Amino acid sequence: MGNYFDGTRRGRRRDAAVAGGFLLVAVFLLLLPASYQAPLRSAIRGTALRPFLAMQAELTERRVRREDVSQLRAERDSLAAVVAAQASLAEENRRLRALLGLRGRAQPEFRPAELIRAGVPGAESTFFIDIGAKDGVVVGSPVLAPGGLLGVITEVDEHTAQGIDWTHPNFRASAMTSDGDVTGIVEPRRGRFREEDLLTLTSAPFHTDVRPGTRVVTTGRGGIYPRGIPLGTVVGIDEADTGWRKSYLLRPAVRPEGVTHVIVAIQREGQGGDLSPLWQPDEPADTGRAAAEPGAGEQRP
Amino acid sequence: MTSDRGWTFWVLVGLLVVGHFVLHLAIGLGATAPDLLTPALLLAARRIRGAVAAGLGLVLGLLQDSLSLDAFGAEAVTLTLLGYLGSRSRDLFVGDGTVFLLVYLFLGKWLHDVIVYALSGVPAQAEPLTWLLVFAPLAAVYTALAGVTAVAAYRSVSGER
Repeated sequence: MGNYFDGTRRGRRRDAAVAGGFLLVAVFLLLLPASYQAPLRSAIRGTALRPFLAMQAELTERRVRREDVSQLRAERDSLAAVVAAQASLAEENRRLRALLGLRGRAQPEFRPAELIRAGVPGAESTFFIDIGAKDGVVVGSPVLAPGGLLGVITEVDEHTAQGIDWTHPNFRASAMTSDGDVTGIVEPRRGRFREEDLLTLTSAPFHTDVRPGTRVVTTGRGGIYPRGIPLGTVVGIDEADTGWRKSYLLRPAVRPEGVTHVIVAIQREGQGGDLSPLWQPDEPADTGRAAAEPGAGEQRP
Repeated sequence: MTSDRGWTFWVLVGLLVVGHFVLHLAIGLGATAPDLLTPALLLAARRIRGAVAAGLGLVLGLLQDSLSLDAFGAEAVTLTLLGYLGSRSRDLFVGDGTVFLLVYLFLGKWLHDVIVYALSGVPAQAEPLTWLLVFAPLAAVYTALAGVTAVAAYRSVSGER
């Protein structure tokens, strides 16, 4: 490598001082409060990195177009069935509410979006979506995949937004079993590899006994997630805090690795909504328990 | 890598930076793709003054940091330090043979990962010691090989020795 810098001692000192200045700037940025860092991040993403984000959105779109038509048709039919069930329930609900003289319950609106992953260190449990504030996305908007809850939006730009999925250490959701008997907080449990990440239902009362196979959904408390979004299925006890609390391990309803398309709930403040019918229009609430009963689903001799 | 056509070297550095974001962000390969940002900085730092290398490290670090929700500034601090140290490494080591480059890029990447880990505090999947002594060196070997391959391709195209 040519053109070696053979500076004088004075020149080197000046060089070190300027480099020290750059280092101070970097340290200052590192120590900035998160609320000040967000606009900087957003500005860099919206300028220098925009072509790369746009390229990823385009590549994802092309990949989807190549997907098997029969699979798409099956997904369309499933969605049509869900929509039909939802429509009849909504109509029945509307009539009953009219009879009782109640106003219609507010439900969140949804926007479809493509999910973009930044495969760089430090962004492991985060994602971008290709819609933003202009489409009504706000900080705290829940992000849903076909199986259930994927994560939540944490930063919003005009045309894009960034969020965390359930594997992020800061993810928390108020949860309950699908029959509503046991409530608690769901948080991530890291595995040795990303594929082994699970969820845990913590703070469940000690006297309750949740059987493996029970579905766990959001409670709708806290104003972030609407009620009834699947989080996972109980696989067993995680730990029992002597005489006080129990924790249960959950198999997540959504594996973040395979998700490319999501819907984002555009939730207005103070509006909750119950999304249970979207996932189980005809299913009784205690399916999980029934499935866990000894011998359930087995053929008798 | 001495040449009158110095600009071709900067094309290599630019390609490594663009390639890094294409592989990691546009294609989304994640850890499957090597880190090309660190070799780009380390190679550039051997040709420029310490202050300029630190400035380049700050810019590249901010680009990388803009994708991270958890540790904004960690890459900026790390690459600023690394740029300056890379530039000053000329005082200790002269030459740019393949073996030297391999060791230089390996140590640079390993140091990068150690500093980022210390600053970001992002919980790793593995135990800290296992990560530092097993996973980080493996990533450093991968990065060093990618960097040396890029330099070899550059030399074959530009005719530099």
